[in-house]
Amino acid sequence: MASQQGMVDAAIFEDLQARVDQDATFRDEIKEIVQVLEKQTRTAQSILSKAHSTPTSQINDVITAGNAAIQAEADTVAKLSTTASQQPYYKWNNMWSRQMQDVIFSILLCGWLGANPTEPSGQLLTIERVASILNIPVNLKDRDAFHITIEEYLQALISLLDELARLARNSVTLGDYRRPLQISQFVKDVHAGFQILNLKNDSLRRRSDGIKYRVKEVEDVVYDLSLRNLIPKE
Amino acid sequence: MDASTASGGSPFMPMFEKFRLELDEHHDRRERVIKASRDVTAASKKMIRTVGKPIPPGVRKGFTQHEEVIRSQYTNISKDMQGLNSFRYQRQISGGNQELLEALTFQHYLETEQLLSYLEANDRVAGLGGPESPILLTPDDYLLGVFDMVGELMRHAVTAMATGELSGAASSTGNENIASRGILADMRDLRSSLERLEVDDGFLSRDIEKKMPVMKQCVEKVENAAYGLIVRGSERPKGWMPDTDHVGKGEVEGY
Repeated sequence: MASQQGMVDAAIFEDLQARVDQDATFRDEIKEIVQVLEKQTRTAQSILSKAHSTPTSQINDVITAGNAAIQAEADTVAKLSTTASQQPYYKWNNMWSRQMQDVIFSILLCGWLGANPTEPSGQLLTIERVASILNIPVNLKDRDAFHITIEEYLQALISLLDELARLARNSVTLGDYRRPLQISQFVKDVHAGFQILNLKNDSLRRRSDGIKYRVKEVEDVVYDLSLRNLIPKE
Repeated sequence: MDASTASGGSPFMPMFEKFRLELDEHHDRRERVIKASRDVTAASKKMIRTVGKPIPPGVRKGFTQHEEVIRSQYTNISKDMQGLNSFRYQRQISGGNQELLEALTFQHYLETEQLLSYLEANDRVAGLGGPESPILLTPDDYLLGVFDMVGELMRHAVTAMATGELSGAASSTGNENIASRGILADMRDLRSSLERLEVDDGFLSRDIEKKMPVMKQCVEKVENAAYGLIVRGSERPKGWMPDTDHVGKGEVEGY
């Protein structure tokens, strides 16, 4: 080959090709796991969306099914965590970030509906509790391994608010006039939190700009109820 | 309900305050890296101009001056890009890294007539961050810098043909025609190596897709110029520039 006397030492490109191939192999490994996870997040979401058509008194059935779906997600996340931790986290995290947001969302929604029998509904699970349910670390700094990022948690939290705004109207349809009040307070409290964040011009910023509309949507529901004296006393 | 609009009413405030702190730190690091990347890009472009000039004594001096600018930029951000964060801001630093690699590989070629390898390049870039916090050079940025370097080879070859003097490849022969074909042979060699690389997926393949046609065009421009030199070489007036194509320049990246 001419490359012996030419400018290019063939070994340079052999080395590069080997590196590119290694990355491709790893990418395929991750992709396989993420595809499984994606299916499971869809299942979990379809199970949890039954909350919109289930009376509050029977919500435990939805929660039980939701917990099982979350357990399935957690098993896959464990696999993803083991594989992904072999390589620098931020080299690959865009491959699973959206799916992890969906997993976190299902955990937040299930938690809000009352996944923990010792707590009332309407809870916001902290990022630490979500991480412990998934058995992975949170917002790592000191070492490079798989974890949940703040951004993923916040994205999932915005998804939760979207879902709750829908649930506020559907609760009324199901005859539960108390829940919209609970949702209204929750959405406002989260909104107040988002307002102190200095978000840059990214997708988190764009989505968080929409929270005020969720606040208003739910306030409208509460307004409709109070106008007609439908809000339960005490 | 008024209580909750004031931030004090929300039970989630302590959590969000922690998030704010973390996100602010992240954004500050990110901003620093973006700025450094921009400055490294500018200094690298200047370095390329200095290196490409056909006056050898000026080369080293001008190069060192820009290299100092680049070094201080990398030293400033190297602590932001260690450990977990080594890949976190790759997208932000990537532009600067690629431009620097374009300069380094071009300079290396002019001095040695060889392609600087990834491992050598990695060592040099790592050293810019300081001894305890090396800067990471990804194979991707190296490769994309090499793609861009072909454009510099083109400019260099065409200028050399026009002025009739040729530093770099095959400069020992007195014959300018053979000399320019020496660079051309190297460019073809590099082109075929770049074309042979198999990249199926990911960001790298998308970037390569953009750079591949530009790189090929650069090689072909020099081929056209060499052709013109052979056909009309003896008739050319002083100040003549080789005709590289019929479209005119401007679409080649790196200007």
